[in-house]
Amino acid sequence: MAELNDIGNEFIRQEIDEFIERPDERARIINLFAKSKPNLQAISAALIDGDNELVDKLTRQALDDGLEALEVMDFGLIAGMAIVGVKFRQNFIFVPEVLACARAMKAGMAHIEPILSASGIEPIAKVIMGTVKGDLHDIGKNLCIMMLRGAGFEVIDLGVDTSPDRFIEAVEEHGAPLLGMSALLTTTMPNMGKTIEAFIDADLRDNVKIMVGGAPVTQEFADDMGADGYGKDAMACVTLAKQLMCVPT
Amino acid sequence: MHKIDKAEYQKRLDELSEIFNGIGLRAAELAKSRCPYKDRHDHCTAKFGCRNQRRGEGKVLICAGDDKLDYRSAWETGG
Repeated sequence: MAELNDIGNEFIRQEIDEFIERPDERARIINLFAKSKPNLQAISAALIDGDNELVDKLTRQALDDGLEALEVMDFGLIAGMAIVGVKFRQNFIFVPEVLACARAMKAGMAHIEPILSASGIEPIAKVIMGTVKGDLHDIGKNLCIMMLRGAGFEVIDLGVDTSPDRFIEAVEEHGAPLLGMSALLTTTMPNMGKTIEAFIDADLRDNVKIMVGGAPVTQEFADDMGADGYGKDAMACVTLAKQLMCVPT
Repeated sequence: MHKIDKAEYQKRLDELSEIFNGIGLRAAELAKSRCPYKDRHDHCTAKFGCRNQRRGEGKVLICAGDDKLDYRSAWETGG
């Protein structure tokens, strides 16, 4: 059984000591990091800190040094995200911090993706995601994006206040078979329907499955607008995306 | 360059999905009692106006919401 002092990285030791309380979880995480190389512990530390530039640099360096991609994922990126998950569950951090860590994870995964591609492993599908025109709320969308990426989708994030034309351009540019739209306000919800109409007008509706979500959106509203599916939260969004792409859930 | 085995990669995705599902469930629960734009320092990270925002030191916006009311009613539509 490994002990906390077997972990070389001081930041990781402090994080475990301060935030990982459950004995089984603590033992599992200590064992994991005790087996981890110093440069991979440094990746985890940068990820937990939400430092995407450092994760980017350290992941590139680790791969250039000859470490295998799966080892970098196991002991650098996923190990770091496991600590983030525990800290969030216990209210030591909140959604904005989690999303910063997810951005850091994405920066690291950007170096793994070419290796996946060279190994014949492709994303499940490309997904265009955005908050509709007139709406600046993005946190639910960003959680969905984090979870879609974690499930193996490639996500192109158009951000907030996205016009129908911008959605159409992105679907065409990336050849994406899936589009997700979010709205938080009852006043901007109709823009989901306008975007779907714009796809019909552009004769592109059959090329893309459209899913919608957001606090005021309901299944009934989604059906009325002609969307292909509605997700009530980020977990449902992933399940729906898989269903629309005919992937077993 | 080492090649990656698809089944081994899928195991990592499953592990990540398990972590993210835990985060997603907790986020949905937490959103009932705390504005999701409020970080651990109680700073507001929203890119839109909210009546609960108060100017802190520098450009920092502090959340002055008490989380007892439905925070969503304070969110404004403009930038």
